[in-house]
Amino acid sequence: MRQILLITDGCSNVGESPVMAAAHARQEGITVNVVGVVDYGTIGELGSREIADIAKAGGGLSRIVGTPQLAQTMQMMTRKTVVQTIQQAVNKEVKKILGEGSLEELPPLKRSQVVTVVDELTETTPLRIALLIDASASMKPKLAAVEEAIRDLALSLEAREGRSELAVFHFPGRSSSEDATLDMDWSSDVSEVRSLFSRLKMRGATPTGPAIFKVLEHYRYDKLDEHRDRRVSEDQGEREGMIGGYVV
Amino acid sequence: MGMSSNPPYPVGTVISGKWRGNRYVVERLLGKGANGTVYLVQREGRREKYALKVGNDTLELQSEINVLTSLQSCRKRSEFRARRESPLSSYLLESDDFKGGDNEPFYVMRYVEGRPLHLFLAKNGASWLGLVGLKLLEKLQLLHECGFVFGDLKPENVMVSDYGEAELIDYGGASPIGRSVKQFTEWHDRGFWNAGSRTGDESYDLFSFAVLCLRLLNEDGLKVAAQQLPQTRSVDELIRLARNLPDKKLSSWLCLALKGGFTGSAAAAAAWKHHIYNQRKPAKEVMATPRWLKNAFALSLFVLAFTIYWVLRF
Repeated sequence: MRQILLITDGCSNVGESPVMAAAHARQEGITVNVVGVVDYGTIGELGSREIADIAKAGGGLSRIVGTPQLAQTMQMMTRKTVVQTIQQAVNKEVKKILGEGSLEELPPLKRSQVVTVVDELTETTPLRIALLIDASASMKPKLAAVEEAIRDLALSLEAREGRSELAVFHFPGRSSSEDATLDMDWSSDVSEVRSLFSRLKMRGATPTGPAIFKVLEHYRYDKLDEHRDRRVSEDQGEREGMIGGYVV
Repeated sequence: MGMSSNPPYPVGTVISGKWRGNRYVVERLLGKGANGTVYLVQREGRREKYALKVGNDTLELQSEINVLTSLQSCRKRSEFRARRESPLSSYLLESDDFKGGDNEPFYVMRYVEGRPLHLFLAKNGASWLGLVGLKLLEKLQLLHECGFVFGDLKPENVMVSDYGEAELIDYGGASPIGRSVKQFTEWHDRGFWNAGSRTGDESYDLFSFAVLCLRLLNEDGLKVAAQQLPQTRSVDELIRLARNLPDKKLSSWLCLALKGGFTGSAAAAAAWKHHIYNQRKPAKEVMATPRWLKNAFALSLFVLAFTIYWVLRF
């Protein structure tokens, strides 16, 4: 399962529309969640509408919070999105088997069984989340809180049974030709989330749309060695399964 | 953080089940948990009162019901082995959907009369901690024996009766041992203090329990420690707080729990029982004599001497 989590504090102002970019992401099976971070004042009507629209186009959730709630919000959104994605898939299967009916309409016993499956998959499905951080000038005072929230999210992901990985990008990139810069490539190691943004040079523009496209490219590029990766992880899965069998 | 939070049902609302048909009358609002709203209800035509939780998300509530169902059957098995007792129904009575409402899912559980742990101790005094702590650890032990961790352990989720019976409420954060902890609260979370993972194990609950004790005994100290920068925030701060507690046996128990040093909740409960619950403090405490008393004593001696002198002289 793949997600993009965009963290921003304002409107995009350069390049393609971020709403279109999010729609592309959704088309490729990647859910886009958006957190607007505001500490003082408001994000503006335009900004908050864009945040909601990006999430809607990307099939995800959006929230506007202050830095103290950031970590908790990111954890909650990530989990909710995993649950929802799985629930949608499971609901589809349920419909196929039982004809009509969503989870809410199932009788208690059946519902309980379906939810057991959803919980199981929520915990074990492999998960990749690309964090896309707005590093325009106004975000600078919030970046320490953002990094802490990322570390916290990594900690929560590490506790999952399924393979979970994070990658971190910030935008705008280092040069004007680069829409977003990769700060940390796919990793499931919490200790790698350290001083991600310390050498950051703030630049004015906010190319949210192009930055999302850049992340999509990274996801695509990564597919090349995904096959090999998957075989490795399947092997691991089998081994772990056997060990689990002994324990139980 | 529910997706939708409807206004609470007014007193007198009849919640009737769509599948099983039982009817419950709302008496008052008891509180709001992460997954829903809890009411005190009376089953129509009966005297017994129950707590009824209405969920705001079918999936989350069902997940909670599933946990309660497995706890229920685990307890049933162990109680069958031991002795038959009525509170089999302590975890879950039934679950259903609110017919006539928006089909909101709900479940019914035993009503625990009392007050949250922090309010109980504030009213009755910290000397109750030995007893209530033991009861709580025993509850955790039962839960762990059934293969679950509680997760979101904090004073607000512990109900204490007038006589110190402790009961865990809100199982929304409970998850099977070995799975990730679903719900947690910053201060009580092992991950927040850089003290370990968020994988649910017995030590996770014991860690939260230790923070709970610190919060009850020195909330200000804990607040200061929690406000540190994330990079410098560490379990050492908590251990320092624990060391500064006047009760040395309690502080060494807490330090061990914070370090994850107990093999499990059974060992932890045994140690608590042995060292903290069983220690009766002598009723008389040795206190330094206050200076005003010394001065007053000196003054009275002087007056006495003067009086004797005065009496003898005339």
